[in-house]
Amino acid sequence: MQKDLEAKFLLDFEQNQNIVHKICRMYTTNQDAHNDLFQEVVIQLWKNYRKFRGDSKFSTWMYRVALNTAISLYRKSTRTIKTQDIDDFTYKIKSKEYDDTEELQLKTLYKAVHQLNDIDKALIFLYLEDKPYKEISETLGITQVNARVKMNRAKDKLKNIINP
Amino acid sequence: MDLDIYKKSWKNQSVEKSGLSDVDIRKMSHSKSSSIVKWIFIIGVLELVFWTSLNFLVPQKYMELYKDLKIVDVLKATTYLHYLIIIIFLVLFYRNYNSISITDNTKRLMNRILSVRKTVKYYVYYNLGTIIISNILLMSILLKQPDNLVSAINPDGTNIEAGTVITTFVIATALMVLIMFAFIGLIYKFTYGRLLKKLNSNYKDLDSLEHLN
Repeated sequence: MQKDLEAKFLLDFEQNQNIVHKICRMYTTNQDAHNDLFQEVVIQLWKNYRKFRGDSKFSTWMYRVALNTAISLYRKSTRTIKTQDIDDFTYKIKSKEYDDTEELQLKTLYKAVHQLNDIDKALIFLYLEDKPYKEISETLGITQVNARVKMNRAKDKLKNIINP
Repeated sequence: MDLDIYKKSWKNQSVEKSGLSDVDIRKMSHSKSSSIVKWIFIIGVLELVFWTSLNFLVPQKYMELYKDLKIVDVLKATTYLHYLIIIIFLVLFYRNYNSISITDNTKRLMNRILSVRKTVKYYVYYNLGTIIISNILLMSILLKQPDNLVSAINPDGTNIEAGTVITTFVIATALMVLIMFAFIGLIYKFTYGRLLKKLNSNYKDLDSLEHLN
């Protein structure tokens, strides 16, 4: 039973782990912290997987757990050895022809996102993932009206950082 | 500028597997959490144990003093009430901790985490309050019966003035309370202060605007 559940979890996770990586990239700026947060998200997902009934999509459930972990549970690792800054990484793009425009765009985007506060990061993440306001308000636990107001403010902040 | 232009590259981000196999993920999922909830729980339990054990540290000598002052019955009654309140606090702590669910919405989750912390905070305030109130009560009783007090504190009848004994007693009690406050303040600064700084500010951020509608 436990083994079946675990196998199912691993399969679900495998198909959606990109979500967790994106969130970790938004909330951390070095590889150690990224790995730390990633691990904490995996722990929380598995710990709660039994309670996941499948009435929502696994990915939706995963957004919630991963964002909640990043915003509320995660403590910055005390072992912040100077490691490679994530901003120095080249973000790989799935593309047949090599074109660095998108890579540069991603780099600019992440660099700007890192300057936002945790809640704004979550809002921008949900926006980039094209989530409807209903889902955004349910995920964060605020009204839809406020989700819209906060989203507009977060977007303005981000625009100002990118184009001061 | 429209942020929509970033959406395409956002979607095209490659799946970064960072070389993690199923075995790695499995191992990771079974490792120990280092979340703040875990730390709040551990520190909370330590605090509860500390303050509860203080109640059992009343030296035998004090009991004799209480007997001399004829307040044993009152003391017994308040002690039972005190234990009842402690149990209520423990139940509240456990219930609040148990209600934390990572699958809740972000606001409710933060709220629940902060409630666990609040239960412990109120428990400590309650204990401090009882210490201060019981000391004031005890002192007022003692000061009404200075002979008993002097003979209790100074059983050998050493040649010291009654006034000096009482003053020393009052100062010692006040000092003890002060030291406790300083100690608790320091502990809070270094534990909860550091643990909850981020959570508190995130909660404020999320909660702003909510009351305007």
